[in-house]
Amino acid sequence: MNFKLKDAIKLHLVIAVSVSIGLFTSCEDEIYPEAGSVNDKTPPSAAFSASQGEGFNDEWKTYSFSNQSSSATDFSWDFGDGNTSTDFEPQNVYPGEGTFTISLTASDKLGVSSTFTENIVIVEPVAPSAVVPPILEASFEDNSLPDGSGDGRDSWRLSGAGVIQITSSPVYEGSQAAKFPSAGDRAAYQALDVTPNSDYTLTYYYTMKTSPSGGNVTVWILPGEVSEFSAIDTSQAIASFAGTDQSSSNDYVKVDLSFNTGANDKVAIFITNNLVESRVDSMSITAD
Amino acid sequence: MKYLKCTLLLALTAFVASCEDDFLEPAPTSVISSANYYTTPEQVESAVFNIYDAIQGVNSTSSNDNHALQYEFYLTEMRSDNTRTKASEGEAAQFENYTIEATNGIVADYYQSYYNVIYRANVALENLNAAGSMAGKLEAEAKFLRAYAYYNLVNLFGDIPLVKNTISPEDKDTAFTRKAVSEVHQLIIDDLNTAIAGLDNSSRFRASKAAAQTLMAKVQLKLGNHLEAQQLCEAIVGSGDYALQANFKDIFFNEGNNEIIFAIGYLPDSTESQLFSAEWLNAVGRTTGVNYVTNDAKAALDAMGGDRTMYSYRVDTGQITQHQVVKYIPDGDAALGITATSSDPRKAGNDWIVLRYADVLLLHVESILAGQASTSSAAALSSFNAVRNRAGLANDADGTITKQELMDERRVELAFENHRLFDLIRMGEAENVLGAFATSVGASFTSSDILLPIPQREINLSGGSMQQNPGY
Repeated sequence: MNFKLKDAIKLHLVIAVSVSIGLFTSCEDEIYPEAGSVNDKTPPSAAFSASQGEGFNDEWKTYSFSNQSSSATDFSWDFGDGNTSTDFEPQNVYPGEGTFTISLTASDKLGVSSTFTENIVIVEPVAPSAVVPPILEASFEDNSLPDGSGDGRDSWRLSGAGVIQITSSPVYEGSQAAKFPSAGDRAAYQALDVTPNSDYTLTYYYTMKTSPSGGNVTVWILPGEVSEFSAIDTSQAIASFAGTDQSSSNDYVKVDLSFNTGANDKVAIFITNNLVESRVDSMSITAD
Repeated sequence: MKYLKCTLLLALTAFVASCEDDFLEPAPTSVISSANYYTTPEQVESAVFNIYDAIQGVNSTSSNDNHALQYEFYLTEMRSDNTRTKASEGEAAQFENYTIEATNGIVADYYQSYYNVIYRANVALENLNAAGSMAGKLEAEAKFLRAYAYYNLVNLFGDIPLVKNTISPEDKDTAFTRKAVSEVHQLIIDDLNTAIAGLDNSSRFRASKAAAQTLMAKVQLKLGNHLEAQQLCEAIVGSGDYALQANFKDIFFNEGNNEIIFAIGYLPDSTESQLFSAEWLNAVGRTTGVNYVTNDAKAALDAMGGDRTMYSYRVDTGQITQHQVVKYIPDGDAALGITATSSDPRKAGNDWIVLRYADVLLLHVESILAGQASTSSAAALSSFNAVRNRAGLANDADGTITKQELMDERRVELAFENHRLFDLIRMGEAENVLGAFATSVGASFTSSDILLPIPQREINLSGGSMQQNPGY
């Protein structure tokens, strides 16, 4: 009986030792400070975009910042001009033009942080003024193209239309002018790059023979650009002026033709005549 | 016995022969499937009608049904400074508070509905070879509708999956890969170019050339291509097919009028009816009232609405401190001379106007303004004043239209027509305007609130490959 009890105790001891060894072994496997702890799979990531203010006064100096950071709770901004902020989406008023380095540090409550840095170049916006296009061979003079070549009418040709003639007398200025014979079968055409929705004034001079009466020399401003005479549609003209002053065949008459370019970034000058031999000289364009 | 053997052999031979044919993929002969249905032009046209049907949505509250347009006001107008819920309760109130959860059911419903619109458009586009001489027009129509769906989705969600053809459930790559906004814009532009080339202005309830031009103008303005937008607007004006209604009320209560460029039709007391008109009233629909007018919008209409104000909002007779939208009232208003559009207001017949001529005139001004602070262009003033004069207001006082004046005019002209949020985003003013508005009503708006969250369901289905928008 006694012997049996001893055996039983021995057995229990063996089991207890085995269990404690097992326990001890599992303890040795614990290399993490806390059970179930995992790495931060979503550390903070800082990002932002900046937009300039709009308005009539000094709004351009004010920048608004859009915070595009993720997995962050705290934010620290350095605007590069000495100002700082801890707001989520702050604004900053800069002293004026210049390049500024902005940095955003986004951090979480584990103390992990991420920094995003970007330069902005601040310039005062200027109201865009209309482009003043050059008119090539505007006075129909020889060798007046930018490269020093040209016969005075190279820039005015249009496929399918008779090319204008060049006259040396009478002229308004210089030594040559454009001539449109009485047959009315010649045309001058030149496309210009312009700013949409802007006002321009085309100034030119014309003169006509005194007879026969009832003729005209007309300048149209046409939208867009065409490459063929057959594509000309004067019913779409933005503006036009029909010169009919036949009082003198020597004296030139000045015309100011104003127009608004509307929904076009290209317009064309188109000139032709009817019935009477006519001359045109000294074209110029200004943006109003 | 010998005869029987022969028959057996014969039957076996026949069986073996059929095995060799298409035993594993038999074409069903007694039922219709999508693979064999589209064989005539009329059937392909029915596929195009099916796209409109998806945009129209189902008059129900079951989240299994498409709601598309019927839920659009939650995601657009109620996220702007124009409207809110009456009681500020439930997930509908997440919109006005800018506290939208990725699990919001209304957002998920809209997202799913519009991808169903895109799916139906892709089905039509893949069966054009059966459309005969109608193929060109049907392609143009389907592409306009697909562009319209992507336009809404890209404005609301930013980068989105770009599904250009029908895909199988296994194609997770297409369904859950978010493509850049620029890539989505390119598909919209390509689709709209096809639509502009292939359509005329003969319908107000189906896609038209002018509808495609208007949508294209909005996209081009967003991209900063002002000249293109101006030319598109002037083409619509030049078509002579559209005009402003003399009376503001007639735009909404004289259906099919010539100010409408594109509308989604609804039929009263039928399965083709809509529920949103009733939802905007006090317990006429299933809610206690959503899309109620904010004090901010009321003040803007009082100050700048002119004749439009009385047909834009009214006092809620059940609670006189609250204000309801008048546009699209389903059950009539005797004082305003508006008759009911249906006998059951929950089955309203009011059409939804997607695009109208006044919108085009103001887009014309926006395109001439071209991102500048103001314009004095005669063409811009002409369009601007036409809209003002119809509302009983005088011409612009100083002959110079500022950006703020244009934004105000658009707001009061197009109030509660789901334009406000997209206008603010397109004009780069969403953060300014909604930030200030949110502060004034005790909410908080940050730049990440401009985009909605991608529905959590989509992110779950993607197995985690789809990234959420920042801030959610």
